[in-house]
Parts: sequence; structure tokens; C-alpha cells
Amino acid sequence: MSQQLPAILFLLPLFAAISMPVVCLKHRHWSQPISLTILAAMVLVSILNLQNVIHHGEVRYVFSGWTVPLGIEWVADGLASVIIMLLSVLALLGVVFTGPTSPKALGGRIVHFYTLILLLISSMIGIVFAGDLFNIFVFLEVAAISSYALIGVAGGRALFAAFRYLVLGTLGASLYLLGVSYLYAVTGTLNMADIAERLPLLLDSKALVGGLLFIFIGLGIKMALVPFHAWMPESYTYAPDSVSPILASLVTKVVLLAWVRIIYWVFNASIVINDIPILPLVQVIGVLAAVIGAFLALAQRSIKMLFAYGGISHIGIILIGIGQGNQTGFAGGVFYLLNDAVMQAALFFLAGVAFCQYGVRTIDDIGRVGKQSPWLAGSLIVMALGMIGLPPTGGFFGKWYIILGALEAGNYFSVGGVLLSTLLTLAYFVKLFEGIFRQTSTQLDVQPGETPLSFKLTLGITTVAIMLLGLFSAPIVQLLLNHALPPGL
Amino acid sequence: MADALLAILQRPNFLTFVILFLWGFYIMVTRYNLVKKLIGMYLVQTSVIFFLVSIGAKKGATVPVLLSTTEPVQVASYANPLPHVLTLTAIVVGVATLGVGLALCAAIYRKYGSLDEEEILERLE
Repeated sequence: MSQQLPAILFLLPLFAAISMPVVCLKHRHWSQPISLTILAAMVLVSILNLQNVIHHGEVRYVFSGWTVPLGIEWVADGLASVIIMLLSVLALLGVVFTGPTSPKALGGRIVHFYTLILLLISSMIGIVFAGDLFNIFVFLEVAAISSYALIGVAGGRALFAAFRYLVLGTLGASLYLLGVSYLYAVTGTLNMADIAERLPLLLDSKALVGGLLFIFIGLGIKMALVPFHAWMPESYTYAPDSVSPILASLVTKVVLLAWVRIIYWVFNASIVINDIPILPLVQVIGVLAAVIGAFLALAQRSIKMLFAYGGISHIGIILIGIGQGNQTGFAGGVFYLLNDAVMQAALFFLAGVAFCQYGVRTIDDIGRVGKQSPWLAGSLIVMALGMIGLPPTGGFFGKWYIILGALEAGNYFSVGGVLLSTLLTLAYFVKLFEGIFRQTSTQLDVQPGETPLSFKLTLGITTVAIMLLGLFSAPIVQLLLNHALPPGL
Repeated sequence: MADALLAILQRPNFLTFVILFLWGFYIMVTRYNLVKKLIGMYLVQTSVIFFLVSIGAKKGATVPVLLSTTEPVQVASYANPLPHVLTLTAIVVGVATLGVGLALCAAIYRKYGSLDEEEILERLE
């Protein structure tokens, strides 16, 4: 039974997504409770799966008994299981949040809205578990197509943002596929473990370097890496408030994880450090992304836009950690990825609540929030501590391990990049707080109603989680060091 | 130089791929019309699919169905089915993306009454 857990995790949301339009044909209000039940079950199964992987080692799931390398394989190792647990919890919170914020104009099509969300979640599970390069491509595209549609749901400017995302995202996917076909032409196989076995004999091939670069650029577009980030802030800003937390916290991080898989599991640590040195490039681009993202965030007035640029800079910080090529940096990078996903979800929950309750979209209006709801301002302070990276939040310990890793590798440039990006993050949050505590004259026309329970729940849980990740950082990083490290690092 | 040129000319499939890819990319970057952008995008996708098919081609090979079960398998006489299967999946993915793209175009046209990027951007201001 425990061998089947990865497949169960994937099939739960997939079957729910497919059967949703039929089951909810007459009863459209069932769609949210059904999604919630499925996702709650997923959280349980993902915890079981993590426990199983920690106690009994990784699970290699082979579909319908076709053995590797002929068949398609899924790998549930420590890294994948931790990320899947995070993904299920954040997806559950995201769907809890959709209740009061879901676009009113949808009417009966709300059923398809939930279908798309579940499809997005199941395809992200596919990306994380996939042990096969082509499988990642397929799931990347399923995730991308559902996100285009989910962003477009908002109408108006979102349509245009979604179109730009579609054009750029497809270019990224095509480049990824091109890279994969290079690797396939060189090695003759698509299974990750199989390629890893054959690579050491083929290191002279230039197609290998080309393939790796094309894959990097393709996934770079998908993970909104500077300088390919142009699609991201717009689409997450104009996306409906109810889906931007799920999109912003999960999609880019899952793609980043796929990239980590490819450099450390397909190519292994010794190849990317010695034979095809791509890690220095990853570090430099990481530093650029961390600094430029935070710098662009400074210039924003819209709070969702500000948070989206913050996300871009954090992708850079995670890459800096991953790119150090040592255990501390890797564990720090993955730990920061967990933190960043939680923080992005929390920030976009906050942006959604601020708009639904107080009609706040920009920094100029955010003074209302400070006046009317001290709780909201309080949770924003916790998120700010996390984003800047002050103890006792998870953000601090993530950056701490990344910097330790960089010092261990002697990369002072990376250390400088993390510190500079921290300073810039501090600057844009100071700007935000200046807006909150300023005495504004903008009065709210309508008195906000009672805050729905789902708002309190999602914001409360994510805010507490930011603190908890900091308080329990030592055991989590130890868990990552014990179970989630790539072979040979 | 001449050698390099000759080497390129010996691989017409790679040359075709590069031309198709860059052509599509050029259309995507330079055209303001959203549908033309989609056409460029589809060219890029198709070029990659073409590349994938061309590396799977084999001269003098037949479909991968065993001709005889008694003799040992002659690998050289069967085409590798995997690139073609990948291609099919990639085509399906491409069609789905194109469908969503055209739907977005239609919605944009209904909303803004134009498909020209610059005009839409003006109206967004």
C-alpha cells in the first residue's frame, strides 16, 4: 500500500478535476466542498508518504509494471515528499481562501474554475514526482495551460497578462523540449536515473552543454528568473485574488525544483562542478535576480505587484543557495524555498483580504488597513520580518544557511548579493509601512462587514507557519540534510 | 570556413530547424498583432517537433513491429518509435496551448475591440 502513495496523491486531484463537471452539474455549490475534501485527504496522504519515505527510504513507482527505462517512473524521495507536503497544505489553504473571493461573474462556470485549480495542483504533483524528462514537459504544460486559463478568468487586463504569459511560457516550454531532445539524442533515453548512468561516458559531447543551457533558459522563463521575468508580475497582479496565492506560492517554486532535479540528479554534483561548470552561472544569475527583483519592487505602487517582484528576488536567493554546490547551501536553498512558498501565499492572502474587505490595491490606500484592522497590520509585520529575514522567522534561518554555504564555498559575491537583496527588501517594506502608519485622509466609503472565517484561517495559519518554520528550523534543515540531499554532494 | 559550411549543408534537417525556429521567434518579437504572435509561437513549437522527428529518422528502417519472432532482432531495420510518440504528445500539447491562446485573443477582442498590441496598451493606460 505504501508503495502506491505517490500515484494516489496524483490521482486524487486528477479524478476530482475530471469528475467535477459531471458531479456538480446540478449542484454548483458542491464544487468547493468537494475540492476541500479532496485536498484535505491529499494533506493526510502526503504526511503518510513523507513518513514512509523517511522510515523506509525512497519509493520508485513504475507505472503499470513497465520496468525502467522502458516505462515511466516516478521518484518519491525525501526532497519530493517534503515539497509535496508543502504543496498539499498550501493548496488546501488556497482553496479555503477561494470561497469568499472567487470571481462573482463566473456563475455556473465556477465548477470549471475548481476543475482548473485541481488540474493545476495535480500537474504540479506530477512535476515534483516525475523521474522522466519528458514527463516533466507534459506536466509543465498542463500546469501552464491551467494557469493561463485561471489568470484569464479575471477578465480585463488579466486577459492581456495571461496572453503574454502564454506566449512567453510556450517559448520556455519549447526551449525545454529542445534541450530534452538534445539530451535524448546524446543518451538515447529519457529516464533521469538512466541518463545519469550514461552521462559520465559522454562528457565530451557539446550537445550535452547545449541541452543543459536550453533546459536552463526554458525553465528560467517558467520560473520567472531575471531577465525572463517579464510575464510574472503582471499575470499574478491581475489574476483573480482567489488564485494568485496558489499561483505565486507554488508554480514558480515547483519549476525551480524541476531544475534542481535536472542539475543534481540527472547531471550529478561532480559533473556540474567539474566537467560542465554551470553552477557559477547559476550563482551569478541568482545574485542578479535577487538584486534586480528587489530593486524593481521598490518602484511599485500596487501591493500585489510589489509582492510579485519580491517573489522574483526570492527565486534568485534560492538559486544562490542551490548553486553553491555544497550541502549547507543546498539544504539552505531548499529550506528557503519552503519559506518562500509560505510567505508568498501569506502575502497574496493579505493582498486579497485587503482588497475584499477594505478595497485596498495600492500603497497609497493601505493606511486604511492599519487604521481599521490592527490584526491585518500585525500579520503584515510578521510577513515583513520573514521577507526581510529577521529572526525568529524562517526567512532568517534560510538566508543564514545560504550565506554559510556561500562562505564555505568562498563565494563572497553570492554573500554580497544576499545581503544587498536583504537591504533592498527592507527598503520596500519600509515604504509599505510608511503607507500603513501615515495618517491618511482617504476614508472608506462603506464600513467593512464581518471578516469571513476563511480569511482569518488562511492568514492566521500562514502567519503562524512563518514563525514556526523559524522556530523549528534546526530539525527541518537536519531532515533535509539527512533525506533530501542529491547523490554525491 | 568552407568545411564548416559543407558540414552544415550535410545536415539539412538541422538547418531547416534553425530557420523555422528563428523565423517563428522573429514573428513573435516583431509583430504587434496578437494572432500573428500566436502564429510565430506555433512555428517555434513546430520547429522543435520537426527537430525531434528528424533525429528519430532512420534510413531503410521499417515500422517497429517485429518481422519474425524466430530470428534475432536486427536493430538497424526498425525505426525507433519513441521520438514519434513524444512528437505526438508535443503536438497535442501545442494544440491545447494554441486553443487557449486563441480563446484569450477572442476575449481580448471582445473587450478592447482590437488585436493590435499597441492599441490595447494605449487603452489600458
